Amino acid sequence: MIRARGSGSVAFALSVLFLFVLGAAALAAPWISPRNPIAQDLPKRFSPPGRDFLLGSDDLGRDILSRIIHGARSALLVGIVSVSIATAIGMTAGLVAGLSPGIVDNAIMLLMDSLLSFPTVLLAITVVSFLGYGLTQVMVAIGVIYSPTFARVVRAETLVIKTEEYVEASRALGSPMGKVVFRHIIPNLLGKVIVQASVTFALAVVVEASLSYLGLGMQPPAASWGLMLKDARNYLVQAPWMALYPGLVLALAVLCFNVIGDTLSERLNPRVGR
Amino acid sequence: MKRSTLVMAAVLAALLLLPASLVFAQKVLNFGLSGNPDTLDPHKTAGTLTFQTLKSIYDTLVEPDQEERIVPALAVSWTVSADGLTWTFKLRTGVVFHNGDRFASRDVKATFDRVRDKATASPKASEFAAIASIDTPDDMTVVIKLSKPFAPFLAVLASGWAAILPKSLIDSGNDFATKPVGTGPFVLKEFVRDSRIVLEKNKNYWIKGSPKLDRIVMNIIPERAVQVQGLISGAIDAVEFVGPNDLSVLAASPDVQVDKVLSALIQVMAINCTNPILADARVRQAINYAVDKQTVLDVAYGGGRIIGTFMDATNAYYKDFTSLYPYNPDKARSLLKEAGVPADASFTLVLPSNYEEHVKAGQLYQDMLTKVGLKVNIKLVDWPTWLADVYTAAKYDFTVIGHTGKLDPDGTVGGYGNKSKYVRWDNPQALDLITRAAGTIGYENRRKLYDQALEIMAKEVPFVYLGSSFRFKAYRKNVTDYRMTPKLDTFDFRWTDLM
Repeated sequence: MIRARGSGSVAFALSVLFLFVLGAAALAAPWISPRNPIAQDLPKRFSPPGRDFLLGSDDLGRDILSRIIHGARSALLVGIVSVSIATAIGMTAGLVAGLSPGIVDNAIMLLMDSLLSFPTVLLAITVVSFLGYGLTQVMVAIGVIYSPTFARVVRAETLVIKTEEYVEASRALGSPMGKVVFRHIIPNLLGKVIVQASVTFALAVVVEASLSYLGLGMQPPAASWGLMLKDARNYLVQAPWMALYPGLVLALAVLCFNVIGDTLSERLNPRVGR
Repeated sequence: MKRSTLVMAAVLAALLLLPASLVFAQKVLNFGLSGNPDTLDPHKTAGTLTFQTLKSIYDTLVEPDQEERIVPALAVSWTVSADGLTWTFKLRTGVVFHNGDRFASRDVKATFDRVRDKATASPKASEFAAIASIDTPDDMTVVIKLSKPFAPFLAVLASGWAAILPKSLIDSGNDFATKPVGTGPFVLKEFVRDSRIVLEKNKNYWIKGSPKLDRIVMNIIPERAVQVQGLISGAIDAVEFVGPNDLSVLAASPDVQVDKVLSALIQVMAINCTNPILADARVRQAINYAVDKQTVLDVAYGGGRIIGTFMDATNAYYKDFTSLYPYNPDKARSLLKEAGVPADASFTLVLPSNYEEHVKAGQLYQDMLTKVGLKVNIKLVDWPTWLADVYTAAKYDFTVIGHTGKLDPDGTVGGYGNKSKYVRWDNPQALDLITRAAGTIGYENRRKLYDQALEIMAKEVPFVYLGSSFRFKAYRKNVTDYRMTPKLDTFDFRWTDLM
């Protein structure tokens, strides 16, 4: 038990460290990138990793490392904004559903469940084709798509918490509903929401990459991991580094968010693992 | 116990081997196709890939040969009256449709009546608009009368959209979109969308000894990397085409042959002349000065020959205007200044996301235009959106596309100068020359008119005329005589064989 906790802590620490470095690199991208991520150096197309290009150059002679660093900006930005949107929509819907009488509860959850029943990427494509292509649209789309999972988590927790003795006591003492919600219910379900957020963050990064890969997200020549992978797939034999490094960073980022989510879920959820 | 197991195994093995040996006796070509034909009805489409596929199922009265001459096919000979208005075709005897009908003049008449019928809504109907009447004096003669001289007429009859259908099935309302019946070298066995098209040999084909293959399986593989790996592994015998990026991988395989030919494609960046800034010819000229054509052609399209006007480099009507606007960024900047382009002006470069070459070329154009001070934003769209918003509605500033080759120059430049074309370029003088050229008979007479029209197009530059790119035809070395029709870049399997 203790050993398991220990190894989990190491993975957790490493994940936090990796994401911290990634976040710092994204913030400092214009200053730390060795080159301009969209500058073409045509005579040096397909340069393997080396002194000129640390992680190689792509089919238009652009620096892979600089593109990964700038790509982290869009990936993390999409993660933060879309998870915030999903949390805002999902928490509101979940709280209202959990505290409302059956008919409102059912109506809200029916809407949320029907959203949930769509395949993620298909729904994202639908939303993006309504709103138009681009980063903002992608963030809204991902936010909307992942709000039902938050709504479900929040509603379920709300249903449990609202029957806890301390909540009932507070109600009995005459506290207004708003105060009960903000004083007692929200603080007690935040743990679950944070866990859900970190897992959703990973999914959002993947969906952003998928949409860019399909040409629906970031528009070229901007740097995005999805676009880089799309460009790379024609050169898997000729220039494997084009796919390898952005793919690796994407996979690691997703892994780290999941590790953090799992660890937090163990630690923040009092019913499991303690 | 043991013996019975052995016997069972032997029987099983024999059963497994039997069909295999039957298949091996047949000559089956596995072909890699990049997409689905939108229909199998030649009169209801304008899709290049569709006509390429249908070439194996249907025939036309005349057809282009490997030297780009128009030669007899279902018609054995033809004569034209001195005024160019009456065309008389003698038909080939002994030709049989896939359904057993004997080919005769009634089928030709029924076919062209169908194409011209408004109810058919053929996107190519306008090319048959010059036909005034079709007579069938006997079973093997067709007389077509035109209302005005129309030089491209023979080229129209040689195109995939003039494929001959049997009258009996036209009359009975057969759905050719799913049940194609022609006189072609192969018969459709099955078409499974997104999977495969299976064609069986037409044993009664009118060319003796053709086709040589028993069956063609066209595997629909949109991902080119998968096609390339299939070629290398032997799962695929030949593909429609490969990209310049695939060459190094294919060169490493001893079993694969790649032929490089100059295509009839006209690669361009189109400019929307209704944009108030781009309506100024000086701005369009500056854009032409700003582009290093050979570099774009090499990097995005795998090389080719640069052009200076709206005609493919190997066309008999091509004229060289490449010296008009050579690569000169300084000149571009000063022209833009002279034209007074505002510093905050920004343009949208719309790219069809399914064509990676065009997307790549677009990024090169954007970079080159940025360097002379133009702000250009790229917007990717899918193919149906491109067709609707860009090609039809002209909602764009710049776009990158390739125009396919045509058998007659009118097919390429016809209608330009009129604002209905997607560049919305308005030039009555050019339009008049082009229209007159279509009604003029004789190469020399037409050439004079096209020279003038192409010169106006070259100077006014409603496009950046990039060039004609190479086409890379790839097949395994046991495949012989896998042909491509020049100009139309259509694959022709009638002489193809497997060794």
